[in-house]
Amino acid sequence: MTKRCAALLLVILIGWAMTGMGLAAEKPVKIGFVYIMSGPFATYGQFAKQGAELAIDEINKAGGINGRKVEALFEDSTGKPDVGIRAIRKLVFENEVDVVMGLDSSGVASAVAPVMNELKTPLIITHAATPDVTGTKCNRYTFRVSLNVNQNIAMAAAIAADMKAKTWTTAGPDYSFGHQSWEYFQKYLSARKPDAVFLPQAEVAFSPAATTDFSAFITKIMNSKADGVLISLWGGNLIDFVRQAGDMGFFDGKREILMTLGAATEVLYALKDKMPEGIWVGTRYWFQANDTPVNKAFVDAYFKRFNVYPSYNAHGAYGAVRSYAAAAAKTKSVDKEKIIDGLRGLTIELPVGNITIRPEDHQAVTDGVWGKTATDPNMPIRILKPMRKFAGKEITPPVAETGCKMN
Amino acid sequence: MGGLTLRRILPATLLLAFLVAAPFFLSTYWVIILTEILTMSLFAMSFNLLFGYTGLLSFGQAGFFGAGGYFAVLTLLHGPPSLWVALAAAVVGTALLALVIGWLCVRLDEIYFAILTLGFGMMLFTTAHNWRSVTGGSDGLGGFTVPPLNLIAWQVSLFNPKYFYFLVLAVTLLGTLLLLRMVKSPFGLLLRATRENSNRVAFVGANVRRLRLFAFVIAGTLAGVAGVLFAIFNRIASPEMLHWSFSGKAVLMTVLGGSGVLLGPAVGAAIFYVLEHYITTFTTSWMIFLGAILVVLVLAFPKGVLGSVMEFFAQKRRGAAP
Amino acid sequence: MEGFLANVLNGLSWGMLLFLISVGLTTVFGVMGVLNFAHGSLFMLGAYLCMQFVRWVGSFWVGLLAGPPLVAALSILLERFLLRPLYGRDVSFQLLLTFGVMLFLDDGVRLIWGPAYHVVNPPALLSGVIPFFSQSYPVYRLFLVILGPLVGLGLWAFFSFTRWGKILRAAAMDRQMAEIVGVRVPVLFTAVFAFGAWLAALGGALAAPHQSVGPAMGERIIIESFIVVVIGGMGSFPGAFAGALILGLMNSFGTTFVPHLQMALPYILLAVILLTRPRGLFGGEA
Repeated sequence: MTKRCAALLLVILIGWAMTGMGLAAEKPVKIGFVYIMSGPFATYGQFAKQGAELAIDEINKAGGINGRKVEALFEDSTGKPDVGIRAIRKLVFENEVDVVMGLDSSGVASAVAPVMNELKTPLIITHAATPDVTGTKCNRYTFRVSLNVNQNIAMAAAIAADMKAKTWTTAGPDYSFGHQSWEYFQKYLSARKPDAVFLPQAEVAFSPAATTDFSAFITKIMNSKADGVLISLWGGNLIDFVRQAGDMGFFDGKREILMTLGAATEVLYALKDKMPEGIWVGTRYWFQANDTPVNKAFVDAYFKRFNVYPSYNAHGAYGAVRSYAAAAAKTKSVDKEKIIDGLRGLTIELPVGNITIRPEDHQAVTDGVWGKTATDPNMPIRILKPMRKFAGKEITPPVAETGCKMN
Repeated sequence: MGGLTLRRILPATLLLAFLVAAPFFLSTYWVIILTEILTMSLFAMSFNLLFGYTGLLSFGQAGFFGAGGYFAVLTLLHGPPSLWVALAAAVVGTALLALVIGWLCVRLDEIYFAILTLGFGMMLFTTAHNWRSVTGGSDGLGGFTVPPLNLIAWQVSLFNPKYFYFLVLAVTLLGTLLLLRMVKSPFGLLLRATRENSNRVAFVGANVRRLRLFAFVIAGTLAGVAGVLFAIFNRIASPEMLHWSFSGKAVLMTVLGGSGVLLGPAVGAAIFYVLEHYITTFTTSWMIFLGAILVVLVLAFPKGVLGSVMEFFAQKRRGAAP
Repeated sequence: MEGFLANVLNGLSWGMLLFLISVGLTTVFGVMGVLNFAHGSLFMLGAYLCMQFVRWVGSFWVGLLAGPPLVAALSILLERFLLRPLYGRDVSFQLLLTFGVMLFLDDGVRLIWGPAYHVVNPPALLSGVIPFFSQSYPVYRLFLVILGPLVGLGLWAFFSFTRWGKILRAAAMDRQMAEIVGVRVPVLFTAVFAFGAWLAALGGALAAPHQSVGPAMGERIIIESFIVVVIGGMGSFPGAFAGALILGLMNSFGTTFVPHLQMALPYILLAVILLTRPRGLFGGEA
């Protein structure tokens, strides 16, 4: 019988496939990026990749990090935890990257963060917003330069407190991000406005990630007694929701609306004039929010190269690379342990403004912006006018509240 | 089928020798990939006990795979910090689950069986996804410490990927031997007979449903064991482990490798991971390449890669006579 | 009352979209015995092509008419060169092959049109809203609600009164017998597959003004379509209609009344039906 011959052949094949990996020459600084590059959220990965490439090209043109060229490697997390972990293990063990950046999905981030402790490699999260990775799951190797759910919802609550709405409901994705957004919103708004009422869990609208027809959820909200709606949907879900809600008369002015991630340019470019005017929308970075030379240079360079305005995800990746370069310059090293000392407590000016990475929980304290959607005849997408800016200190909960115990 | 000739023993011995020696000459990364291949091999082989040997296409196998992972992690979080206890809890838990679900499912066959198992798998998925207080919801259940493995006299830390690899190798090997014994036994023959013609098996006095149920429970339990390895390896049990698309992976690996051979699914798993590694290295458009390669493999290997390769050799041995 | 009616309409409009996709799936299964995993991708292609025609000529109607035949043409190649060699082999090979095709097409549209979401506007005739009690309801959704049964009626007439329709039904019932009485089965198979693809793409084109067009939009709908086909009865045409209606209505009412279960509802329904009527609602006795 030849079963065993076949097995032998297989052994040879695998053995051959596994040899001849990795050779070292004049070593560049390697940065591994993990984003969603395929499927329904792939556009977020695309923007992030562009932001990362822009930052790296700028740094290389200026002589690299500590005189060494920077090289980028991109992996697709597909939004699944096990794939994300495999991608990061590949980057660390196989490509021997000096640092890992990225992560879009909170589920992937929660799974990956504890693993970084074993891989002993710094991770800079640029998008995933779950408070846990700089909270209960915080650790020496995990950092975040972008706003998290806490910070974003703190702003939402501040705006909601000034609104007329009394009874609040939510439309959010039916996974942790949506539920956490709603829970923090109740907590923060109650603190500011004790008489605010929130609909019970069975009456709010949490839609599964695969939903494409939101009509049932829209009807549910419109027939509830809520006069305020917190919308934490994002990506394709938000686009579908806004279009279908618009058709069903949802934006008729009878209810106050907050969209926590409504000012994502990925969404605004798709919706264009389908995005209603006069709605409060949040983001993690808005390209028109400030006039600093750093921001202007970033927006101009980005627009010139990619012909679109940078999204918050593009900025997240750009900011992470910049922060890493600053930490490397500060410690004059890219050694993984030394970089951590460099990132801890780092203050750097990014396009979004000055950010400081808190040494206690590794969360960046960064300014935030919300705004009302408005039309500008010179712009292809809705812009924010007026804008409301929040200082980072104001919206970031104190370390004691995060549940982080740094080891 | 001859006796234990050199020709039969040699390749198996070589394969085993390679697997045992691998951590000593492969890089850590490839040891990790090999760990995943072995874990998925066990999962896919458990699926193939139903598919290849019983003729039941289960699209809910990931439900047991994931359930095993959750049972183990829940035990580690709330019970004693012992790997053996976690494994035992997962075995008992998934066996019971498979007994109940199997009892309902084995009365159907063909595509109806496939869709019904998909339905039950997705109910388990929804449970893991929505029962946030117990399962951690969509973020999954992690945050446990991996206890050292108690081997009577020693304590082996599983943080070292190479040690963990040996654990996975040992468990997968045991699972494979168990499956080998099963399919070679009279029970295995009966199973295959039900695949070919269940009426005839019923005529000779065997209870087809009970046979199938038994196979279903064994398959579910082995999938659960694979799930324990997977969850501990990734330090998390996540709802994705229970999703139908994960069941689809087992189908894919099995058909790719060959469902008629015991090690077919393992070969399929190896091909899949090695392919995925190389494709994702040079492009982020991995899906288009994987899709194209799958199409070619399906067309070129009518019995799966291992099945077709073995058939080719067998024909060559027999001479050119058709 | 108002909420109840809105839920009915919501459920119907979603159900009708599901029906269009499922009816192709069930016909292909009934006649050819092929479970086509890539059916959702053909739906997606229909949406993308419709979008492309809207960009070129600015008319949704052109996209609706011209897109689906192109998808059908592509599916003829698919059937002829990829599926045909597999007919003698196990069903699982077809599943795997069509899964590969799905990956290929999903990534293909991403390479051609980019990963971004695209928006297609409904045609002028069907945009806007009509008053609906104190609220309003979009005309396009009502259009879908009406179109579904119309398409169903058209298909029924086709199957009952035309030569081709009768041959199809005969072949679905007994392939061998059809072959004996002189039906050229290979040609029939190609035609059926193309027909199913045309229906899927039609569904995609109709969905385009209703949801964002993006890669993987087909993956989301394929499982629900499978469920529709199975609960209705494999190969059954009224079954697909009934299944789609039930699933659509259950989706909208489930969202309102049992939100925690909403995600599991289709699967619970599936299990209950299969365990009580193993061949589906319209599938005859097992």
